[in-house]
Amino acid sequence: MLAALDDLAIQRAKTGDLEALEQVYRAYEGVVYTLARRICRTAEDAEDVLQETFLEVCRSIGRFRGTEPGSLTAWIKRVAASKALMRVRREKYREADDLSDGDEVLGRRDPDVALQLDLEEALGRLSDRSRTVVWLHDVEGYTHEDIAELMGMTVSFSKSQLARAHSRLRGWLGREPV
Amino acid sequence: MMHCTMDDLIALRDGEGSREAQRHLAECAACRAEFESLHQRGAALKALPALRPPRERWSAVRAEIEGARRRRRRGVFAWGSLVAAAAAVGVIGVQAARLRSAADASAADLRALVEQSQRLEEALRAYDPTSRVLNGRAASAVAEIEDRIAVIDLGLAEAQSGGASRAELLELWRQRVQLMDELVRVHVTRAAYVGL
Ligand SMILES: [Zn+2]
Repeated sequence: MLAALDDLAIQRAKTGDLEALEQVYRAYEGVVYTLARRICRTAEDAEDVLQETFLEVCRSIGRFRGTEPGSLTAWIKRVAASKALMRVRREKYREADDLSDGDEVLGRRDPDVALQLDLEEALGRLSDRSRTVVWLHDVEGYTHEDIAELMGMTVSFSKSQLARAHSRLRGWLGREPV
Repeated sequence: MMHCTMDDLIALRDGEGSREAQRHLAECAACRAEFESLHQRGAALKALPALRPPRERWSAVRAEIEGARRRRRRGVFAWGSLVAAAAAVGVIGVQAARLRSAADASAADLRALVEQSQRLEEALRAYDPTSRVLNGRAASAVAEIEDRIAVIDLGLAEAQSGGASRAELLELWRQRVQLMDELVRVHVTRAAYVGL
């Protein structure tokens, strides 16, 4: 997925060269979209986040100073996560009714459906915060400190959201996931 | 100890478990099964397939960047012609200094505003538009201010060629300075939150 993006292309992208920036886009669109889709509630939101992320990347890559292997990926992912979180917060604000523990309500209403859920559906049922925390921590490898900073919450709150996410998933999926 | 909570299991998995929880895990088959399930869930999450965006968004990104670059270039160009126009109508330069009586005060005001605008413009040039670190809100604020400046510049160009009153000119320049000031402030206080 991250093929064919050499140092030269990155250097050219930093000067604002549009063809090189497009190469960066092609190399990372999947990574960014996947991350955005896991955090956002809809595919449309994730697509918008993809666009917003690359707009930011194009504007800021000239200032990117990382040289470690993987640092560009880490930076782009961080931009994506932060854009996705902004989007989730905005949506939340709009749909304040869905806010109050949507997962709890669902879980209570039809506990048996749980057994038929697959992992992706179960993820989608988690509250935005729980889903984001479990994804960033367990899949992307962010620390609770990273997550707390990114989401503007405390470390202990991030930890409790992670436990909550796993308890829900465990309840819906049973002991054997997938 | 009672059975491990999800918090305990996660802490154990992440190398932060208490000694008590560790001991319990070693003794309790039920908790070991839950622990194993936690690991499997983590592995299953990681194994979810990567997704492809349903549509490409590059053309939209590219269009927006090109638009911003065009606006930027136009802004600088408009500024250059404005200074020329201002000089031509005697707002700045030697002639303005020779204006007399009641007109003198406003001429000086006008001159001061033009110079202020010029200084702000220079301050702004320190920020390369392609390498700004702006969050979404700051970026849209900048775009909005730049659009408003562009509108005022049009008004100024018209006013200066069409012989507008000094009061009108003064007002336009005042607005321009205010917007330029806002623009500089957005850049200065911008948060480098993306962790460059
Ligand atoms: Zn036990």
